[in-house]
Amino acid sequence: MVRVNILIAGVGGQGIITMGKMISNAASIEGVKVMVAETHGLAQRGGAVNIHVRLGNVYYPLIPKGGADYIVGLEASEALRNLEYSNEGTVFVINKLSIRPVLPKVKAMNVEEVLSIIKGRKHYLLDAKSLADQAGNSKTMNSVLLGFLYGIGAFRGLIREKSFEESLKSEENRRAFKLGLNEAIKLVTLL
Amino acid sequence: MLSQSKFKVILGNEAIAFGALASGVAVACGYPGTPSSEIIETIMKAGKGVYTEWSANEKVAYETAYGAAMMGARALASMKHVGVNVASDAIVSSSYTGIEGALVLVSADDPSMWSSQNEQDNRYYGLLANIPVIEPYDPQSAYTLIKKAFELSDRVKHPVMFRTSTRISHVRAPIELEGQREPIMGKLVKSPSRYVLAPENARRNREEQLRRWEKIKEEVEELNELIGEGEKLVIASGIAYAYVKEILEDGNLQDKVKVLRISTPVPIPRKLLIRSIEDIEEALVVEELEPIVENQVKSILFDEGINLKVYGKKFVPNRGELTPEVVMGAVYRFLGLQYEEVKYEKAEVTPRPPAMCSGCPHRSSFFLLRKGINMATLKTFFSGDIGCYTLGVLPPFNEQDSAVEMGGSLGIANGVFRSTNTIPVAIIGDSTLFHSGLPGLANAVYNKLPVIIIVLDNRVTAMTGQQESIVREIEIENVARGMGVKYVRVFDPFDINRGSKEVEEAAKWVIKNKEPVVLVAKRACALEAIEKVQGELPRVYVDEDKCTGCGICYDAFTCPAIIPLSNKKAWIDDSQCISCGACIPTCPFKAIKIEGKFPDGWDKAWLE
Repeated sequence: MVRVNILIAGVGGQGIITMGKMISNAASIEGVKVMVAETHGLAQRGGAVNIHVRLGNVYYPLIPKGGADYIVGLEASEALRNLEYSNEGTVFVINKLSIRPVLPKVKAMNVEEVLSIIKGRKHYLLDAKSLADQAGNSKTMNSVLLGFLYGIGAFRGLIREKSFEESLKSEENRRAFKLGLNEAIKLVTLL
Repeated sequence: MLSQSKFKVILGNEAIAFGALASGVAVACGYPGTPSSEIIETIMKAGKGVYTEWSANEKVAYETAYGAAMMGARALASMKHVGVNVASDAIVSSSYTGIEGALVLVSADDPSMWSSQNEQDNRYYGLLANIPVIEPYDPQSAYTLIKKAFELSDRVKHPVMFRTSTRISHVRAPIELEGQREPIMGKLVKSPSRYVLAPENARRNREEQLRRWEKIKEEVEELNELIGEGEKLVIASGIAYAYVKEILEDGNLQDKVKVLRISTPVPIPRKLLIRSIEDIEEALVVEELEPIVENQVKSILFDEGINLKVYGKKFVPNRGELTPEVVMGAVYRFLGLQYEEVKYEKAEVTPRPPAMCSGCPHRSSFFLLRKGINMATLKTFFSGDIGCYTLGVLPPFNEQDSAVEMGGSLGIANGVFRSTNTIPVAIIGDSTLFHSGLPGLANAVYNKLPVIIIVLDNRVTAMTGQQESIVREIEIENVARGMGVKYVRVFDPFDINRGSKEVEEAAKWVIKNKEPVVLVAKRACALEAIEKVQGELPRVYVDEDKCTGCGICYDAFTCPAIIPLSNKKAWIDDSQCISCGACIPTCPFKAIKIEGKFPDGWDKAWLE
C-alpha cells in the first residue's frame, strides 16, 4: 500500500492543527489509515509549530528524518526549519508569507531568501493569502494549501476530492480548497 | 451499553477519555497540564452522569478519585507527569489501602520536554509505590488498554497507573469507539481499619499490598504479547512497539525476529518473558527514557540463572523521545545489519520561540513591572513560576530569573532573600497560586519575607486551554488579606502608568516595612476575552506623522501585531491585532491611536 509522509510547518495560530484534522477526517472517510502528530501547549504560543501527517500503512507517529514526501510551509522560513526531514525527492510547497518572530531586533527571513536555499529542488511557491482572501476569509490559507497539495497529487490513490469536500466544514474552506486546487492544475498544465 | 460503536478520528487523549467512559467511569478529576488536558475536557463534554472537575491541584484530583474508589465507584485522575509528583503523597499510600471500585491514574509524560520542565519517566512511580503501570503504544491501543486498566483495578482492588506520552496523547488517528457505559457509582462504606493509615493499620496493609502485588504479577501476563519467530528477541515497551513493528515490516525482518510487546512495564510479565527467551541468542529492550523494563528483565534472568546477553540503554538513549532513526539504529545494530546514518540537511533559520499572544495582559504586566522596579531603583531577583508568563524569561523582558515548578516562586524568593538580602519579586499566576503557592504565601507572611508578590490574574489556566480558574469564586486580594498580608493592591495591567506606580510604591513599602506585599494584576487572558465578544472591533493604528521610530512598541513591548517598517516607524498588522489597545500607553509620543468603539460586553469579558 502507498505511504505518504507530509510535514506541515508554520507559526502557532495559523490553523495547522485544523489542517491536520481536515486531512485525517478525509482519510478516515476513505478508510485510509492516518496518524497526525500535533504540537500543543507551550510549544504552540506563536512559536514554530509543525505536524507530522502519515498516511497509508503506518504504525508510528513521526516522520523519519529525510523521510518527508512533502514539506509545506504556511510561513516560508518554517519549511526550512524542518529541512532535516527532506530528501532529494521531497516536494516543497511554500506559502508566499513571512512572519517576523516576536523577538526584539530580529528580522524575519524573507521569501526570496528561503527560495534561494531550496533552489534546484522541487518546489512550488503559492500566494495562499490572496487566494484565501478571494475565498472570503484570510484564515482559510490552510484550505488553500490543502487544495494545492491535492492538486499536485499528494493524496493520489489515497484520498479523493469528494472526501475532502466532506471533511471541510465551511463553504469558505471548500471555496479556498478549490482555489488552491485550480492553482495547482494551472501550474501542472504549464509544466 | 448506551449506544453503538463507531469509528472516529480523534486524539489519543480523547481515546483515553472515551475508553474511560466505556468503562463506566463515574468520577473524573484532574489539573490541566500538557499533554494531559484533553482527557478531562473530553469527559466533561461527552460524559453523561459523570462527575468531573478541574481540581485545585493534582493531589486534590487524585484524592477525589481515590475517595470515590474507596466507596466502590470507578474513578479516574488525570495529570501531566510532573503533576504526579504533587499527588505522590496520596498515590504511594493509596497502594497500601487498595480500593473497592476501580481507580486509574493517568500520567501523561512528556519525553523531549515539548511543554514541560523535565522529562521524568513516571513508570518509576509504579516501582516506588507497587502500582501496576499500563502503557499503550498508539491511540487505538490507548483506547483498548485504558479499559483493561479499569478492569484490572476492579479485579485486584488496587490503583492502576496508565502512562501515556505526548506522541500518543497528541496523535490523531481513527479509533473504533463503543458507547458510554452507565457510570458505576459508589455507596457509603466505612472501613477505618483499612483506610486510617495509623502505624498498626499501615503495617497490616503493607502485607495486604504485597499479597495483591503477587496477584497483579499474574494478572498482567495477558496484557502483553509475544509475536513472531526468530533467534533474536526485541522487547518493546509502549510506543517503542509501534516503531519496532513498522521498522521490522519495512525491512522484511518480521520473520527473523521475535517481538515481545510490553504493555505493562511495571511489573513486566515474568512467565511470558521466560517463554519468549527459549532458543533466543540475544535480546534487545527498546523503551523510551529510563531502563525500567531492561532492569526488570535482567533481574528476572539473573534470578532464573539464565545467562543471556540483553542490550538496552547501550543502544537506545535514555534521553529524549524515541524517533524512527533512534529505533531503527538500535534494531539494525542489534541484528548486525548495516544501517547508514544519513547526514540530514539543516538550514540556519532565525529562532522562533513561543511568544505571548497579541493582547496578552502578561506583556503589559512585565512592561510595567520593569518600569516600576526601575522607578524604585530596586536591584532585585525575579522569582518566576509555571504558566504562560514563564515566557517573560525571553527578551526584551528578562523577568524570570528562575521558574522551576508549580508554586515554587515564593519559596525560592525566600531562599534568595535569606542568603543575599536582595528583595525579590515573586511572579505567579492565579491558577498556580491556588495550585501550590498558598503555603509559600503563608510562609512569607509568618516569616516576614520582604517580597513583592505580583499575581498575574488572568482568570483562567491559560497555557493549557483557558480552563476556568478558582479566582472565579475566590478573589486573590481576599485570599491575601485573609492570610494576613497587610499591603494588597489590585490594578489593571493595561493601565501601565498606574501599574508601574503601584509597583514603585509597593517596592518602597517593602524596603521600609520588611514584609510581603501582594499586587494583583487583574485582566483576563486575551484568547479568553476575545472569544466572548461579538461585533465589530475598533481599529488600532500608528499615526505615521507622530511616530519617531523609537522602537519602544516593537522592541520593548513586542506585541506580535506591531511590525517595524524599513524606515523604523511602526505599523500595526490588522490580521494579528485584536484591537485591545494595550500598546497605546507604551508610546511616549502618543502615536498609537484607536478609532471606533468597543463592542458591548468588551470590558466585562476582560475584567470580570
